[in-house]
Order: sequence, then structure tokens, then C-alpha cells
Amino acid sequence: MSAVTQPVARPWRPRSRLVAIFVYTWQACFPRKRWAAVLMPCVGALLFGLLARAVDDLPDAAFANVAAEGIFGLVMPIAALVIGDSVLGAEIRAGSFHFTWLSPTPTWQIVLGRWVGGSTVALVTIAPSAALAAVVAGSPSSAGPAFVAAAVGSVAYVAVFIAIGCLTRRTAVWSLAFVFLVERLLGAALTGIAQLSPTWEARAIFVGLLDDPPNRLHRSGIPEGTDAVVRLLVVTAVVLVIANWRMRRLRLSGAAD
Amino acid sequence: MSVTNSDAHSDPALATDATVEVNALSVWFGPKVALSELTCSFGPGVSGLLGPNGAGKTTLMRAITGLVGVNEGTVRVTGRDPRRDRSVHAAMALVPEDEAVPGGLTARQLVRYMADLRRVTDRDAPDRALRTVDLLDVADRQVGTFSKGMRQRAKIAAALVSDPDVLVLDEPLNGADPVQRLHLIALFKQLGADGRTVIVSSHVLNEVERLAERVIVLVHGRLAAAGGQRAIRDAMDDTPRHVLVRCDNSRRLAGALVGLDSVTGVTFDSKRDELTVQTLQARELAIALPRLAKAASIRLLEVRPLDDSLESLFRELVR
Repeated sequence: MSAVTQPVARPWRPRSRLVAIFVYTWQACFPRKRWAAVLMPCVGALLFGLLARAVDDLPDAAFANVAAEGIFGLVMPIAALVIGDSVLGAEIRAGSFHFTWLSPTPTWQIVLGRWVGGSTVALVTIAPSAALAAVVAGSPSSAGPAFVAAAVGSVAYVAVFIAIGCLTRRTAVWSLAFVFLVERLLGAALTGIAQLSPTWEARAIFVGLLDDPPNRLHRSGIPEGTDAVVRLLVVTAVVLVIANWRMRRLRLSGAAD
Repeated sequence: MSVTNSDAHSDPALATDATVEVNALSVWFGPKVALSELTCSFGPGVSGLLGPNGAGKTTLMRAITGLVGVNEGTVRVTGRDPRRDRSVHAAMALVPEDEAVPGGLTARQLVRYMADLRRVTDRDAPDRALRTVDLLDVADRQVGTFSKGMRQRAKIAAALVSDPDVLVLDEPLNGADPVQRLHLIALFKQLGADGRTVIVSSHVLNEVERLAERVIVLVHGRLAAAGGQRAIRDAMDDTPRHVLVRCDNSRRLAGALVGLDSVTGVTFDSKRDELTVQTLQARELAIALPRLAKAASIRLLEVRPLDDSLESLFRELVR
């Protein structure tokens, strides 16, 4: 062993920081257990597809009803929570986030890199499972709307959970509180909250893109279809800005603390 | 006990050519005060950071690197605030005490990731950093499968890859085997000799003794002492020191020693036939003792300070 010496350096162009963080997110943030935790709710989506077959209704209507509650209200938030926690909160708790934070990388690149990394995981797990559930339910025409709604909803959720990871150490607990208390309880009662909720907006995207959705799934005061896509993307952007603001002020006191 | 004074030019807590400056720093976590009005600085070379558990060493290192915000006071690294100016991280690296490493990465991937984030343009830098810590042979193994010592070396390689000017090492020798310890100590000394600011904390005091040219001692979040090991000891003029003396006539020498002004006490161990002399003025004793022995025709066999190691110094400081 010897001290670091400086022989003639071979010029080399390093990967951009954004790409490096994206690659790192895939390599480091998703060990096997995490993949299992992400895939389990996705399997649940397929089971909801099977459940829709058992409902005594037309396949499209049956799947729409089951998907609205089961997939967009349960599977998508849970799977996205695991992903969102994996890409930031888990690393902060474990004490290994300093490898990224203690670099000259601007915080917005860290947030964006982690979000893109987590979102791509969501796009290859949650969204396809939602589409596949439609096929399993015997409603292939719903597969496209289900895919789009799950994709947009889950990337919005990943952003939300990253922001929560920047705000608190107990990411999983606060994320569950956000999903089940703020979105499910308050969102069901208050349209103003539902308008900003990934669950409700994803459901509205799905309903808006269906040819003939059941009437009970329409909710007044919430944009549907492509309007809901735009709404959710704006929410995502705002949440990422908040995450970046908090990221600059993180106190990383180590795994032991 | 503090050996510092208000004169900035002679204050042993302040380094000349300081690259890291800590001024009146206070950090607290809820009701717990981790650091209290701490002022010190670090310059090129190896500086040791000592203190018992909970003294605030890790918090100081985290404040220096910007991992924790400060409640009062300032921290500047090459004139920049590490919490506000992220560009400072291009010239600074931390090896934390935590064992946490991204387990899914290989050592090469980890070091390469750090090189990418720091825009290292030398293609060979990751492998060179891994070779420096003797991990090149296992560079493609996942760090999650490494032993504690290997993880520590992987973190050191990740810190070294960008060739930082300021290197902050929190218990860097933890888990390393004796051979690796020697190698790492040599590495850190070389880095210090090359003009980098190396700040090392360790609970293995004899290693710091061999490693650091300058020592900062923290106790309960406050500066207890600063300077070279000898300088600290010299400044501790209100702390009794103990010197072991063996000679061919211990009883007679004990009687003669009691009459010296520099001696505050003498203990005679009849079993071992040796004296333990307590003094507040070690230099005066060192001059007077041979003269006294010669005058009394006593042959001195051994004169050895009992508390001159950093460990004993540390014990006295935290007493």
C-alpha cells in the first residue's frame, strides 16, 4: 500500500452526475428484499384482476370498479411507498446517503436523479401490473388507461415520498399516514385535497380515459383524463421543488442517531 | 482543562495556514448539547481529534463537512460554509464511523460513483484509490459482503478517489487488522506530509500518538486541550506527573527526594524496590535528580515517566 500518487492522468469524461445518480439508484437502492416488497403489491394487482372476473357485472365495469378501489387506492400507493422510501428515506436511515450528499452535486440533481430512478422502477413494475390486471380481468380495452393512470400516479407518489423522506426520518410511517389519513379520509371528504392527491387524480385519469366508465366513479370538482394528467404532473413538479428545498437543509446525523 | 488562550497567534487550538476554521461553534440536538462554543482550526498535516464517547468528536466532524447544521458559531472550509456552498465538497471528503455502505454496489462501482459525482477526469483514479487501500483484488465484490475492516477501506478509497485537500476521518482504523492499521497510518501520514489537511479521530490513542502531529482534545463538547502532545503536557502545569525511579538504594534516595521543592510526594514500593515520584515540575526534577543521586553516591538504574503517553494524558484531561 502506498499513498495516492499522481502519475500521468489518462483524460476521461466521467458520467454526468444525473446519470451517475440514476444508475446508483438502480444498483444500490433496490436489493432483493426491496424488489420483493415492490413486486408483492404488483402481484396483488393481478389478484384484483382475478377478483374482477368474479364480480357479476360486465368485465369493463367490473374491472373499473375494482381497479378504482383496489389498484389505485391500495396497490399503487403501497408499491410506490416502497419505491419512494427505497430511493431516499431508507438510505438516510441506514446512514449511507452521505456518499451522495457530500459531493458538489447540486441538490436538485440529487432529487431529480433519485426521482427518475424510482420512477423508472415504478414504470416497469406498477404500471405494467395495472395493465396486466385489466387483461386478467377480461377487459383489455382498460389496459391502456390503467397503464397511463398507474404510471402518472406512481411517479407522482414517488416524488411525494421522496419529499417526505427529506422532511422526516420516519418516512414509512408518515407516508402511510399521508396515504390513509390525508388522501383516503380527508380526500374522500374534501375535494380540495382530492385535487392534489395522486390516488384520486390517478383514478380520475383512469376514469377519464375509459370509453364508458361507471357513473359512480365520476367525482365532481376533479379534472379527469388528460386534464388530470396535467394536474398530477404539476403536483409532481411542485413536490420535487419542495423536496429540493428540504434536501439543502438535511441534517444527516448518522445511522446511530 | 484548556491550554488555549486568547492570543490567536499562540493559541494552540488555532493552526497556522488553517484550511478548516471552527469559530465559537455550538451544536445541540434537542436538549443535548453536543458542542459548546468550540473554537479551533486545522491546517495541512495530520491532526488528531480525541475525546471520550459523547465528547462531540463525530458531531464536530459532521459540522465540518456540513452534514449537520450549526446552531451558533461558524464553520469554514477553505473560506466557505460547507452547509451553504456545496462546491466545497469537491475539495473535501469524509470517512464516517458508521459501517453503512451501499451494500448492493461493488467496491469499484462505489468508488466510480464517487468519482463521477466529483467529476474526476482521470480514468485510472478509481483503481488507483482501490489499490491504495489494497482492495483492487476484490474490487468487483459487493461491499455488503465485506468485513468491517474492508468496508472501512472501501470508504477510504471512495474518499481518496477525488484526491481531496481536506480529509476528515472518523475512527478510520476501526476493524482494520494490525498490518492494515500500519499501512493506513503510513498512508494518512503521507497525505498529511503532502500538504493535505487530515483530521483523524480515534479511540485507539497510541495510534493517534503515532499518527497526529497535533491533537485537539474534546470533553463534554468543549475544548479540553490542544497542541502537540508535549505542548499539552507542558501546559498542564497544575497536573501532577509521576516518574518511576529505580536505583541501588531506594530508601536513601527517597529521603533525599522529599527535600526537593519540585517533588510533591514519593511512594516507596519495597517489594519491587522502586520509587514513584510525584511532581508538578518535571523539568526541575529531571535536572535535580541526577545531581542528587551523584551527590549521595546512588546509582540510577531507571528513570521513566509513568504518564507520558497520550492515553494517560487523556485520562488526566477527562478526569
